[in-house]
Amino acid sequence: MFELRNVEKRYPGVHVLKGVDFSVGDGEIVGLVGENGAGKSTLMKIIYGAVQHDAGDVLVDGENVHFRNPRDAMKRGIGMVYQEQSLIPNLTVMENIFLGFEEPFVYFGSINWRKMAAAARKQLEKVKLNISPSTLTSKLTFAQRQLVELAKVLTLEERTEGKLVILLDEPTSVLSKEEIDLLFTLVKELRRRASFIFVSHRLDEIIELSDRIYVLKDGVVVDTIDGETANAADIQKKMVGRDIHSQYYREDRQSSFDKNNVLLELEHVTIAGRGNDVSLALHAGEVIALLGVEGSGREPILRTIFGMQKPEKGTIKIRGEPVNAFSAARSVAHGIAYVPRERKIEGIASGMNVFENMTLSQMKNYSWGGILKVPSERALARDWIHRLSVKVPSENTDCGNLSGGNQQKVVLAKWRSGGSDIILLDHPTRGLDIGAKEDVYDMIRDMSQDGVGIILVADTLEEAIGLSHTIAVIRDGEIRQWFTCLPGSKPSPFDLIQHMV
Amino acid sequence: MRRHFPWITLVCGLLLVGLTDVRFLSPANLLGLATDVAPLLIMAIGITLVIYIGSIDLSSQSIANMTTVLTTIALPAFGVVSGVLVVAAGFLCGAISGMVTTRFKVPSFISTLAVGGIALSIGQYASGQQALHMDTVQRQQAFGWLLGKTAGIPHELMAAIIVALLAWFIQSHTIAGRIFKAIGTGEPVAVASGIHVERYKILAFALSGMFAAMAGVMFSVRLSGGSPTLAEGFLLPAIVAVLVGGTPLTGGVGGVASTVIGTMIVAVVRASMIYFNIPATGQQIFFGIVLIVAIASTIDRSKMLTVK
Amino acid sequence: MSTLLTADMIRKWAPVLVLIGLVLLFTTINPHFFSLRNFARITISSTPALMVAVGVTFVILMGSIDLSMEGTIAVCAVLFALILNIFGGSISGIGWLAIPGALLAGAFLGAVNGIVHVQLKIPSFMASLSLGFIGIGLSLLITGGNRILIDDPVFRSLLTFRIMGFPLMVYAALLCLMVAWFIQDDTVIGRNFYAVGGGEDLARASGLNVGRLRIIGFTLAGIFYALGAIFAVARLGIAETETGRNFMFTSITSVVVGGTALRGGSGGVWSTLVGVLIVNVIGNGMVVTGLPDYFQDGVLGILVIFAVYLSTDRRSLSFIK
Repeated sequence: MFELRNVEKRYPGVHVLKGVDFSVGDGEIVGLVGENGAGKSTLMKIIYGAVQHDAGDVLVDGENVHFRNPRDAMKRGIGMVYQEQSLIPNLTVMENIFLGFEEPFVYFGSINWRKMAAAARKQLEKVKLNISPSTLTSKLTFAQRQLVELAKVLTLEERTEGKLVILLDEPTSVLSKEEIDLLFTLVKELRRRASFIFVSHRLDEIIELSDRIYVLKDGVVVDTIDGETANAADIQKKMVGRDIHSQYYREDRQSSFDKNNVLLELEHVTIAGRGNDVSLALHAGEVIALLGVEGSGREPILRTIFGMQKPEKGTIKIRGEPVNAFSAARSVAHGIAYVPRERKIEGIASGMNVFENMTLSQMKNYSWGGILKVPSERALARDWIHRLSVKVPSENTDCGNLSGGNQQKVVLAKWRSGGSDIILLDHPTRGLDIGAKEDVYDMIRDMSQDGVGIILVADTLEEAIGLSHTIAVIRDGEIRQWFTCLPGSKPSPFDLIQHMV
Repeated sequence: MRRHFPWITLVCGLLLVGLTDVRFLSPANLLGLATDVAPLLIMAIGITLVIYIGSIDLSSQSIANMTTVLTTIALPAFGVVSGVLVVAAGFLCGAISGMVTTRFKVPSFISTLAVGGIALSIGQYASGQQALHMDTVQRQQAFGWLLGKTAGIPHELMAAIIVALLAWFIQSHTIAGRIFKAIGTGEPVAVASGIHVERYKILAFALSGMFAAMAGVMFSVRLSGGSPTLAEGFLLPAIVAVLVGGTPLTGGVGGVASTVIGTMIVAVVRASMIYFNIPATGQQIFFGIVLIVAIASTIDRSKMLTVK
Repeated sequence: MSTLLTADMIRKWAPVLVLIGLVLLFTTINPHFFSLRNFARITISSTPALMVAVGVTFVILMGSIDLSMEGTIAVCAVLFALILNIFGGSISGIGWLAIPGALLAGAFLGAVNGIVHVQLKIPSFMASLSLGFIGIGLSLLITGGNRILIDDPVFRSLLTFRIMGFPLMVYAALLCLMVAWFIQDDTVIGRNFYAVGGGEDLARASGLNVGRLRIIGFTLAGIFYALGAIFAVARLGIAETETGRNFMFTSITSVVVGGTALRGGSGGVWSTLVGVLIVNVIGNGMVVTGLPDYFQDGVLGILVIFAVYLSTDRRSLSFIK
């Protein structure tokens, strides 16, 4: 029996978990769902000990515990099957299974491989995987690796007293239908040995497998649903159901775009390594939102348009001209701008001041024969600080010291001042507080009015609906459905979700 | 505070040695001290540019060694142009390091080590593994301008100051310098801003090779000859000068002006060792420790996800 | 799949093929190359190099790098000679204490290196480079720049006593290689080196104390450098600061050329043996075929660039410093 009571977690500027109660009974399979940013991953990290909670209690069999690291959690029988591969590819299967716990097989400093192999075989039997324990992990298929991960976690059974709690983080994202069925059968059988916490974006799978489902939203458990009676639409409603009026997204400022002025065209483009076929046309003044679940392939489309990835097939046309060379430099020269999701890594150079950041993409315009004209750089920065009301002491301030909202304004100023008219926005409001978000929404409307074409990957469903003229729903890398979003007759989240999952 | 630490160290060092012997602080002595480190300063400035973009150059010493040999050999045939030729050769060596680093994705400490090995071989081959000597007349004709004094200031020092000013200008007033800074503070941002990052990285390495060659020319003129081991012992003090001056291994801050201060600190430390009767062999140990302390206290750990 | 497998196989066996090719090449140019006497010469020059390269292999397996070997070797060689001469000048007497003395010194310097790298969070190439300089300074301080001669016949029998044409030190080095192989393949520490090299974050998530492991790796490397120092002294009969010269570049070249990737996690001591042989065959072959040996640095420079280039998975790396 594992329980969280009134658990709180804060990061600087964000209240991630607001008094979460959560419990898992013996042999129970509990589902955990929530939108991106709802606090799921933080909650999981607290459970398996990677992050420490600020307040509240974590109880194992009624006893208050405090995990300092994942190893502490393992000692109490709590294990994690990671979504990203956590197996080390250059080690054998058995080495991975017993990594960090090799002592029982060591005799006079030497590892007894035969004993380890026998023990590993026993673990592999638990997950019904018939492979040699001395296989190199890199030679396994994704599904096999997933099972080895599970086997690795199940070694806790021999090492701890009491029952296990196993977290499964998006275990099905890389598996085929048959493999998923196999995994689910296995999990159901294993409930004799362990309880499971199952995290997934695929609601149908959550419903199929779970006894109970926790719905997390904005750091709060909004509902606990019985797995027997749950249905996907209900859960989805609870995950997103937010009551925000259209004013928030400046829908009154949404004007129609110029259908005759095509800025960017993708014709049957295949994104590297995805085997898909994407076609779209972006018009002056239009906002296209790419909508899909995490990993559906929205970001690779943006990065391909920006030239950071080369498409395998198809043509990209900018203002009717087909593009031949692919590089970020070429795209910038053609007036494409990219506002990245990782603002602190790709957006803002902290350590450089405001004007240096603003001219980074357009130094040619502020120099003569390779020599910079610093006064005109400063004048530009002052102008845009004023235009976008960036809260900053002067243009000499280090951008690393600005708030997220002001950093985002600097990034947008960089592109706008350089005359970019095709702007790719990747989660432009991620990590911003409400006021700063509204500023970004205003800027998007301003840009539309100036005839800029925008492709948006939004943070939330409502944001996408509220801001865009057109929505492309993406699943598995392909555009599945187009929606037109005229103010007043916007599609509802539920119309869109059907096509997303 | 950290920003002011280098020059405070310099002043304290000067005062400390000055207290034991006031003559140390006489302008003539200080001038001599500065002139003495002129080649080191030039080499350190080159290395600064590479460290400024967050890489490292370990080839400078070997390039300088090679240059002393090549200058001496080329002098009879080309006169002053030999200096230009070898500086171009240094530029080329650096460019090769840069290309290997960016195009082949070989870590810079390995690529520069390897190019250093190649430069060393060239130096050994060209010299036949012997110390070569310049003809006094030819040296005077071609490089006499480097040897005299004007208004009491040695021309070597002036040349070093001019080179330093040039490098400072590149760093703070040109597109290339701004891009170096951007690469040092956040390479992904530079890429996502549409900058040809690879080209500019190669340029930084090439400039470093060029400055190392300049240091070599100056050194061989000073000693009137060349040998593949002439500039031995330059690498450690040059890197120390860069790091003590305040350009961290992670790049992005500090720069040429910092390195000028750093080189002066190195010069004062060297001189003080003589004043305090510390054997010259102790110098290397001391600089090694200083290097570790300087790296540890200036490095920006937020830029390193894992420390390998 | 089968084409992939063969590509893998080619990559794995390429160094051996290169070695065979070089031997054939030099033999064609000068048949004297292919003789027992010459092979003995190659193995003698390889012996100290092998120990040093094996030491740094452990570090590189973890994805770190160690550039301190020249200093460590200098200190160990000088200390070894000093202790030997103080305790009667022969390892048949209590002079044998010089061996554990040198190994201890190597372990100590290696440990300091590891601790500076891990605790001060300084990249290993810079931490070890600094410590290498300090080591050279230390050895200069100890010797005052002088040479220490060793004329103990018992100790020199490492070079002079021959079995089947090869001197004793070659067999001793092979024994050390076996020990290194055992550490690499059959101890928890050795396997954990691979784990760290294969994925440091993942290893940490599995509860490995990566910092401690790094320090152990550098310590182990230091011990092998000390072994290299002892063999180097045995080979020349002289201990001095210069004893460590050139080991940094050649040992790293050997490791990389042998097929151990700089990113860590693949390769091992056997690859390093092949790499050391390649480097020494080139050195010897250049002399035998009449090329000046100082070309070696240049050839090795090109070789190392080429080897790193071939072993780098460029898709997985976005930014190289």
